[in-house]
Amino acid sequence: MDFFSRYPVVQLLVLISIMLLEGCATSALKSKDMRTALSQGRPDVALKELEQKGETDDVMVNMNRGIVRRMVGDFQGSNQALELAKRRIDELYATSLTEQAGALMINDESISFEGDRYEQVLVHAYKALNYIALGNIDAARVEVLQSDVKMMEWGEAPEEDPFMRYLAGIIFEALGEKDQAIVAYRKAVGVYRSTKKKHGLAVPRHLQDDFLRILAEENRWSEYKQYKHKFGLSSWQKPETKGMGELIVLLHNGLAPQRNEHSIQTWSNELSLNIKIALPVYALPPESVTQARLSYLGVQKYLETVENVDGLARAALQSDMPVITTRAIARAVLKKKSEKKMEERQGGLAQLAMFIVNRATEIADTRCWNTLPQEIQLARVFLPEGQHTVQLEVLGKNGAVVDMIELNATIKSGSKTILSEHWTAPRTAAKTVAVNTEAETRVKF
Amino acid sequence: MPVLTKFRVLPVVAISALFAFALTGCNPKVTRTSADEVTDLSGNWNDTDSRLVSEEMIQDVLSRKWLSQFNRKHGKTPVVIVGTVKNLSHEHINTRTFINDLEKELINSGEVEFVASAGERDELRQERKEQDLHSREDTRKAMGQEIGADFMLKGSINTIVDAVKGEQARFYQIDLTLIDLESNRKVWVGQKKIKKKIEKGGIRF
Repeated sequence: MDFFSRYPVVQLLVLISIMLLEGCATSALKSKDMRTALSQGRPDVALKELEQKGETDDVMVNMNRGIVRRMVGDFQGSNQALELAKRRIDELYATSLTEQAGALMINDESISFEGDRYEQVLVHAYKALNYIALGNIDAARVEVLQSDVKMMEWGEAPEEDPFMRYLAGIIFEALGEKDQAIVAYRKAVGVYRSTKKKHGLAVPRHLQDDFLRILAEENRWSEYKQYKHKFGLSSWQKPETKGMGELIVLLHNGLAPQRNEHSIQTWSNELSLNIKIALPVYALPPESVTQARLSYLGVQKYLETVENVDGLARAALQSDMPVITTRAIARAVLKKKSEKKMEERQGGLAQLAMFIVNRATEIADTRCWNTLPQEIQLARVFLPEGQHTVQLEVLGKNGAVVDMIELNATIKSGSKTILSEHWTAPRTAAKTVAVNTEAETRVKF
Repeated sequence: MPVLTKFRVLPVVAISALFAFALTGCNPKVTRTSADEVTDLSGNWNDTDSRLVSEEMIQDVLSRKWLSQFNRKHGKTPVVIVGTVKNLSHEHINTRTFINDLEKELINSGEVEFVASAGERDELRQERKEQDLHSREDTRKAMGQEIGADFMLKGSINTIVDAVKGEQARFYQIDLTLIDLESNRKVWVGQKKIKKKIEKGGIRF
C-alpha cells in the first residue's frame, strides 16, 4: 500500500490546498494591474482588465466598472454597472448565516462585498453625475432622493455623506426647485460640521456662498442673517448674476487608498501561544493630492475639496477594525484547533496539510472601491451667456502646472452647466463632456 | 476496490454532481402569468400600479361634470391630448408606460376624442410631406387638417418615503390635471394615493 492509500485525507487536503493557494490572493493583489494602469492615466487599459470577468453581480467589480467606464466616456455603461451594484447591495441587506460561518472558518472574503456606507452613497452620486452628463437631470434627481432614503435608514448625521447633500442642492437648484435646494444645502452644512472629525473637511467656502446666495434669492432674510453670522462672513455680498449662467466644475482627483494586508502576531489565552492574524490596513501617511485651479476670463479660481474619499475610507476601516480583529483572532483559534484535531486523528502529515490549507486561506479582506478618486474638488463660477473655453490647471507639489485640461462650456443665462473630469495622471488629450442642464443637449469634446 | 481508487472516484462523482446542480441553477425558471396578475417583487412602482392608477383616474375624469358641460356647450365630444407626466418620485419610473395606460383608457372609453402627442405628430407630419411627393393624388392626406385638442391632461408622480432599519413606508401620490387649452382653466384635478410597506429580511442563508 502506497503513502496516499494510507493517508487518503492527506491526499485530498494537499489537492485542496494547491487549489486554494491559487485562489487566495488578496483582492489588493488581484487589482494591482488595474490600479497601475489608472495611476498612469490609462483608464482604457484598466477597463480591459475589469471587463475580463464578463457579466457579474459582484458589487466591487460593478462599482469599479462604474467609475472606469465613465472615465472613458461611457456614461450609459457606467450607470448599468452601478445599477447592478445597487441592486445587489439591496439583496445583501440581510446578514447571511453561511457567509458569517465562512468568515469564521475561512476568511472575511467569505462575506459578500457590499461596500462601506460612504461607498454605497457614492454609487448614487456617480449615477447622478452620469445622468447629468447624459442630459437627464430628472433622473439625477431620482438618485438624489434614493440616497436620501438610504441615509435616512441609517439614522443620524454621522452616517451621512456631506458631498451627497451638497450635490443634491446643486441638482435641485439646476431644476429650479429652490426650496428643496435650500433644504439640501442646509443639511450639507450640518453634515460637513458633524462629520468633520471623520474626514477633516470643514464647511466648504463654496457651499457657504451658495447657501447665502440662495437664501438671499428667496428672501429668507432671517436665516440669511443667522448663517452669515455663523459663517463669519459679515461683509458677504450677493454676487451679481443677472444675465449670467453658472459653470460648475467637479474634479475627481487621484485614486482612493488601497487596503493592504498586514500580518501580526497576537497572544491567544485560549491556546496559550502566539497566533498570526492577517488584517487590512491603509498605508500611512496618505499620498498628497494635487491642487487644481480654474482659469477663465483672466481670473484664476482654486478648486476646493468637497469630498475627502481618503478620509472616509480610513474612518470606515477604523470603525470596523474591532469586529475584524475579534473575528480574525477567533478564526485563528479555530484553525489551530482544527490542525490539532487532524493530528490526533490522522497524524503529523494530516496536520501539516491542514496547516497549509489554513495558511493559504488566511488572507485579510482588502476589498474596497479602489477606483474612486482620493478626493472630489469643486469650483463654481458665474459666466456671461455664450461659449466659453476655460482651463483646468492641475498643480504639482511645488505649485507648477503639471497638466492643463481645456473645458468647453455653453453657458445659458439662468441655467447651470456641470462639467466632470477624472484626473489620475497627466495626459495629452483630455476628454470632457459638457452638458447644459436647461437645453438637455450633450456636447462632447 | 483499493482505497486510492475509491478516493479518485469520489471527487469525480462529487464534482459531476456539483456541475449538474450548477447547470440546473443556471436555467431561469419562467412562469407565465396573466398581465392583470399582481406581481409585487421589490415593492417598487410596477405595471399593476400603472394600470390601476390609470383605470381609476380615467373613470373619475370621465364621470365629472366638465364632460357633460362641454358636450352641452359645443355639441361634440372633447378632444384631449396627453402632455407630460413628470416623475418626481424616488424611483426611475418609466412614465411612458403610464401615459400609454392613460391613453388606452381614454380612447377606449369613447367619451372623448384623442389626438397624437407632440412626439408622435412630427413623424405623422413627415409622412404627409412624403405623401405629397410620392403618393397618388387621390390617396394623399392634406396638410393643415389636424384636429386641435381642447384639453391637455398632465401631471406628476410624487413619493414620500419613510425608512428605518429594514423597513420602508412608501407613499405614492399621482396628481393629474385636465387643462382647457384655450383658457388655461383647470377643469378637473384627480389624485390617487398608494401606500406600500416594505420589510427587508434580516437574515439569509
